[in-house]
Amino acid sequence: MSGLIALGAAIAVFTGIGAGVGIGIATGKASESIARQPEASGSITRVLILGCALAEATAIYGLLVGLMIVIRAL
Amino acid sequence: MDLNEELSYKIAFSIGPLQVPQYVVITWGIMAFLVIFSILMTRNLKLVPGKRQVVIEGLVSFLYKLYYDILGEKGKRYIPYLGSVCIFLAVADGVGLLGISPPTRNLNVTVALAILAILLVQIGGIQTKGVGGWLRGFGHPVPVIAPMNILDLFTRPLSLSLRLFGNVLGGVIIMALLDSAIPIGVPLIGSAYFDIFDGLLQAYVFTFLTSLYLQEAIE
Repeated sequence: MSGLIALGAAIAVFTGIGAGVGIGIATGKASESIARQPEASGSITRVLILGCALAEATAIYGLLVGLMIVIRAL
Repeated sequence: MDLNEELSYKIAFSIGPLQVPQYVVITWGIMAFLVIFSILMTRNLKLVPGKRQVVIEGLVSFLYKLYYDILGEKGKRYIPYLGSVCIFLAVADGVGLLGISPPTRNLNVTVALAILAILLVQIGGIQTKGVGGWLRGFGHPVPVIAPMNILDLFTRPLSLSLRLFGNVLGGVIIMALLDSAIPIGVPLIGSAYFDIFDGLLQAYVFTFLTSLYLQEAIE
């Protein structure tokens, strides 16, 4: 029984893949646009930081679900 | 195991039947610190500023410009609230540096802040557009997505509170694991990342999203 619980918690953390891919693509686009137009780098950086924090949120939800599963089982 | 204790909170003291938890006392401490700091920093304001005044003016105008760019002239009166929440969250996340457990690691604190933010947005919308205009605003871009807009009333505070709660709690748990694994050196880097960088970032994102919702409601 506890094997299934551990498996469930492990699957919950898979949401990190989405966040990693999304933030990677966003950072790539941001560095491209800074290379194309260096004067706008201030506002590009601000938009990038905001986008990363929002994308990170879904990964954090997965972490929370994993934590809840493990703690309930204890 | 550690984890069960990380999720629960201790009761500090009780006034009669009312139990006051520990994080409420820490929040009082942060409030007292911020109030005394503000009073000390704004004494004897002069037209030609001295050093202390320049620093405070720089901080306030930085925050003001940040929200003024989004809210514009019509939303100017909400900027003090947003700035206060930003400073409170930045300090509340950063007290981990001093060894105090940050109050935002409890879901109660973040849900309270998120409910306040959403109430502010809806009441601001009602004050600007009237109750009829506010109700019509639910069908705003296309009437077909009105159910999604109504659902937004609940999912927005949910995501605001859970984002902040998850980030701070995750930071606290990872710091506890780091402390037990490698007591010297590495917790410094971890604390610098979680308490300073992540704390400031989450404070900024929380208030930035609130200002975005406000701008959408005031239009």
